[in-house]
Amino acid sequence: MTLKNEEKLASVEVIQESFEKLHYICNPQIATAVFLAYHLEKPILIEGPPGVGKTELAKTAAEMLELECIRLQCYEGLDESKAIYEWKYGKQLLYTQVLKETLNEILEGAKGLSQSVDKLHEFGDIFFSEEFLEPRPLLKALRNDDSCVLLIDEVDKSDHEFESLLLEMLSDFQLSIPEIGTVKAIENRKPLVFLTSNNTREISDALKRRCLHLYIPFPDVDLERKIVQARVPEIAEKLRNQMVTFIQELRDLDLKKVPAISETIDWARTLILLHSESLDPDLVRQTLNVILKFQEDIESVEAELQSVTNKALKEN
Amino acid sequence: MDRTLVDFVKVLRTAEIKVSPAETLDAMECMNIVGYEDRTFLKNSLAVVLAKNPEEKDAFYDCFDRFFAPEEFSRSEDSDDSENTDHNDFDDNDGDFNPNEGNNQQSGKGGGQGGGQGGGGEQEEELNEETTLQPTSELGKLLMTGSKTEQTIAMMEAGREVEVNQIVVFTQKGLYTRKIMDAMGLKGLQEEVSELQGHGGLPQRILAKNLKKARDLLREKVRDYVEKQFFLHADESGKQLREELLKKVKLSNLEKRNFKDVQEVVFKMAKKLIAIHSKRRKTFKRGQLDVRKTLRHNMQYDGMFFDIKWKASKVDRPKVMCICDVSGSVSNYSRFLLMFLFSLAEILPKVRSFAFSSDLGEVTKLFEHSTLEEAMARTMRDYGNGSTDYGRMLMDFKNHCIDDVNNKTTIIILGDARNNYGDPQAEILKEMYDKAKRVIWLNPEPKSSWTVGDAEMKKYAPCCHQTEVCNSLMHLERVVGNLLKSVT
Repeated sequence: MTLKNEEKLASVEVIQESFEKLHYICNPQIATAVFLAYHLEKPILIEGPPGVGKTELAKTAAEMLELECIRLQCYEGLDESKAIYEWKYGKQLLYTQVLKETLNEILEGAKGLSQSVDKLHEFGDIFFSEEFLEPRPLLKALRNDDSCVLLIDEVDKSDHEFESLLLEMLSDFQLSIPEIGTVKAIENRKPLVFLTSNNTREISDALKRRCLHLYIPFPDVDLERKIVQARVPEIAEKLRNQMVTFIQELRDLDLKKVPAISETIDWARTLILLHSESLDPDLVRQTLNVILKFQEDIESVEAELQSVTNKALKEN
Repeated sequence: MDRTLVDFVKVLRTAEIKVSPAETLDAMECMNIVGYEDRTFLKNSLAVVLAKNPEEKDAFYDCFDRFFAPEEFSRSEDSDDSENTDHNDFDDNDGDFNPNEGNNQQSGKGGGQGGGQGGGGEQEEELNEETTLQPTSELGKLLMTGSKTEQTIAMMEAGREVEVNQIVVFTQKGLYTRKIMDAMGLKGLQEEVSELQGHGGLPQRILAKNLKKARDLLREKVRDYVEKQFFLHADESGKQLREELLKKVKLSNLEKRNFKDVQEVVFKMAKKLIAIHSKRRKTFKRGQLDVRKTLRHNMQYDGMFFDIKWKASKVDRPKVMCICDVSGSVSNYSRFLLMFLFSLAEILPKVRSFAFSSDLGEVTKLFEHSTLEEAMARTMRDYGNGSTDYGRMLMDFKNHCIDDVNNKTTIIILGDARNNYGDPQAEILKEMYDKAKRVIWLNPEPKSSWTVGDAEMKKYAPCCHQTEVCNSLMHLERVVGNLLKSVT
């Protein structure tokens, strides 16, 4: 595939840099995956806990390459009529009406039924044709004049049937529409495909085999600091280090849902709004609901709040 | 390099990373793009292509580090240095055993200062070449003049030739070491050494001595290499062998030390079964209006929506009730039966689990919310090790649960049907048989003893759709497989 901003995908370091310019800080693994996805022309399946920037990666890639980002949000019950194509039924009905009215003209001079049928065939059948086709995200991505980024979000939420439906698209960049035929991606205009999954269920091997697999874990301290700095540059360095240490400590606790990067960023914004300069137990207690989303988690953390906060303060 | 990659893929497979041929091809393409210069880059790239879940990624990094051991890489990078170092070592010996040589002092000094001094080494090499004999055998030449990289490559090639990756058990290490040495031309070297020793001249003797020393070093190295290969290839396949055996062995004969392995096997089995059967896990909602189908169907009625089509709605809610005997008579088995029950609860969406020795108790919640060990321990504590009373169990079931049984329910009973000569209450089982879709009895005892002593299988069996012997993990796997097929 050739893209207008191909040079931005020249090497892993270049990708990392260009991402960084867009405030998306990534480790070499992530950049490697993007690099390979482009050069091998393969989709990437991104897995990882919620809130580590899986969807963001696709969006940032689109922004970096200045491509359109076509997004397909998966959910239970999603089927081909919402993902690939649908017929414009209203127009099709109108067409039959029009056809009925012009029927006399078409059949003029025909003798007998067989001649009429022949004449009707000559007229051409556009009932199932491109004119009445309403493209949905997958088809749109294939037929896009320019390359695009296709984001198939939370593929684990969709049904097994839909997963199988994706296989053709992912391996050959083509889709079959029974009434029309096979639609192929324009050569060198293949979309860059990202799939994300929260692992609520195991993705089938068939799908995994067709994709590169990228697992994004929670970032380590350094990376998370960089991310917060890139996303919330206003925050003071001291506070930033403290809160990152605090979050990292929380991830070691036994919680129902540990805070992810998105929560860290939200928390940083909250702390700025509150004009805080340093963490203290009271402040943390008041803002705990920003980073923890379950009451039982909040309760269990509150018990250890003092010690965790002190640890965060001491280390920075 | 292709061959190496294939070998690597094989190693990955023994480490239980599923790599398909298509993925191997992807990996080759990926190597073409990435190149071999940057180790971490290559590692990350291959990880993206070959390992497809977090556990596999960890295993992959481990395998990569072991397979492409960094020392071999670094050797090839600074092969020049190591070459010189090598010669320094040998020169050192020369110095010691050649007190009359003119360059004695110099080489002694060079050797004494140790390896790593590239310049000095080269100089000595030149000087020594004039005075020492050169070996004639292939291996001898390699040992005396080849760089470490060349030696390593020759060793790996020989290893490939004798198929060292087929190594299975620990005791084969000696054999393979020997085989590799032979393949590298040990015979020629030995002959040369004995010939040199027989010759009697000083330079010959020195050369023989050096060759012997180098040979021993090489043997050490080969042994090391074989050991590494053993851990790479055999460690895992040995485990597979053990697991296969465990599957066949009777559950009651398993010893405590095997429990951990068994648990792993059961989990693996369960996972496999989940993968196959979880597709049917879904319970479908009511169908929606299928516009396309409706439209197409109604074209014959002049486009009037006359015959409305709905999207097929599958209502498929298999229900399983599992009753497990945990009494003393089956205590050897109950652990595994519970394990099985636990795995089953993971596979099927609607499993209700019960345990009893006399009183029936529901453990569904317990199984849902705790780990296997905890669930098993608590079940055994609460219900285990009493004397069996099947009649009582069936009575309890009738009182509490029979209303929940309908024609979609499968009832599985795990137990030996030894009722201590109590009232078997087979008529209740008959009632369950009539109401449920299927009643399956899994008995750990062999069929021949089903009617011996206080066993009531004779009375119970007619009230079951299916009775099966189930006393090894293999049985368990087969039974569960069939079960899932029929249940879902």
